[in-house]
Amino acid sequence: MMKMIYKVSVERCIACGKCELACAFAHGSEGRPSKTRINIHRRGPELGTPVVCFQCDDAACVTVCPTQALVRNEDTGAIDMIRSRCISCRMCVAACPFGNMLWDEVYNCVQKCDLCGGEPRCVPFCPTGAIAWVPAAEAALPPEPLDRESLEVTP
Amino acid sequence: MPTLKINGRKVAVGDDAYLLEACRAAGVEVPTLCNFDGLEPWGGCRLCVVDMSLAKWDDDWFKMVTACNHPVEEGMTVITDSERVLATRRVVLDLLLARCPETPLIQQLAREYGIEETSYQPNPEPTDCILCGLCTRVCDHIGVSAIASTNRGWGREIAPPFNEPPPDCIGCLACAEICPTDHIKFTTSNVQRTIWGKEFEMLRDPTTGEAVITKAQAEHFAARSGVPMSYFETSDKTKRLEMAKTFEKLQVVK
Repeated sequence: MMKMIYKVSVERCIACGKCELACAFAHGSEGRPSKTRINIHRRGPELGTPVVCFQCDDAACVTVCPTQALVRNEDTGAIDMIRSRCISCRMCVAACPFGNMLWDEVYNCVQKCDLCGGEPRCVPFCPTGAIAWVPAAEAALPPEPLDRESLEVTP
Repeated sequence: MPTLKINGRKVAVGDDAYLLEACRAAGVEVPTLCNFDGLEPWGGCRLCVVDMSLAKWDDDWFKMVTACNHPVEEGMTVITDSERVLATRRVVLDLLLARCPETPLIQQLAREYGIEETSYQPNPEPTDCILCGLCTRVCDHIGVSAIASTNRGWGREIAPPFNEPPPDCIGCLACAEICPTDHIKFTTSNVQRTIWGKEFEMLRDPTTGEAVITKAQAEHFAARSGVPMSYFETSDKTKRLEMAKTFEKLQVVK
């Protein structure tokens, strides 16, 4: 199997929030957009920066987890949270230097991007290709800047 | 990979698996109160007992073992619902119900085994603590060991040393979160946390004032894991914002 990588091209994001919704629905958090695992930092009309787990090689969350509940999934490359091992101590939430470990007070557990088991559900919803699931070789290519003028506006 | 027969169903599991794991892999549910995937098995609650027979034993020879901490072996036969297994679990639940007559988890489990009321003298001072040891084990596991089981027999309880605020406690709430009956009480806010009679100062984000962990907790885990202390100092929201700002510099807008 070809190694796939989750690629984020920040310059293409138009802050539409479709990825956030897709994520919230895909992960059974009753579609609460506030409980998405990908967050867009909005900073202007149609301008945003998607912020999502990097699946770090030497991850702080994995290092601090006292019960080894965070483990690398060799198939997808994601760091998976194993619910049955999690003791809800929130150390990973505090340790992640990028703020991508999210606390869910409804389920009393941590939510993190697991790349949907190798088929990220947010990707097909992105209209501009700001997030993509691509072979590792392609991921290193610099992204095409988005031609914002040519974007079709539908009322 | 050893192959076992569980309630007549064949299942293959890893070499270092325990019987409980094999039972679950075979789709057989075994009740347990003191087992937790992230911790070493303990065999404390005696609820996961099963009948087990090795390949080299006579066909009708079975031994009762706790599934959670019994290693698997090639050719094992396991029966999880024999009459003597169910009878043993009933005694355990009957005793637990006598100790904790008002605990919903125990009431429900006992009802599943046909016990509506305990046949023993119910505890005159009902408690929710089932002495499963999960709290002390998780505390040991993270390298704190602030609480332990004290006294013997009827007077056995989980407590900090001398029933005073534990000096080693870091206020991580792991014991309270893992407690299956929510017996361990605590209060927490963005400013202060209290557990086991000890007060903790929270590590607050300088801009938003939010806090998820205590200062002592951050210090303990920074020392233990080598993650720099600075990682803990800001909240996840602030860190996401900082990250987004870093990437803004890359964002060339046409």
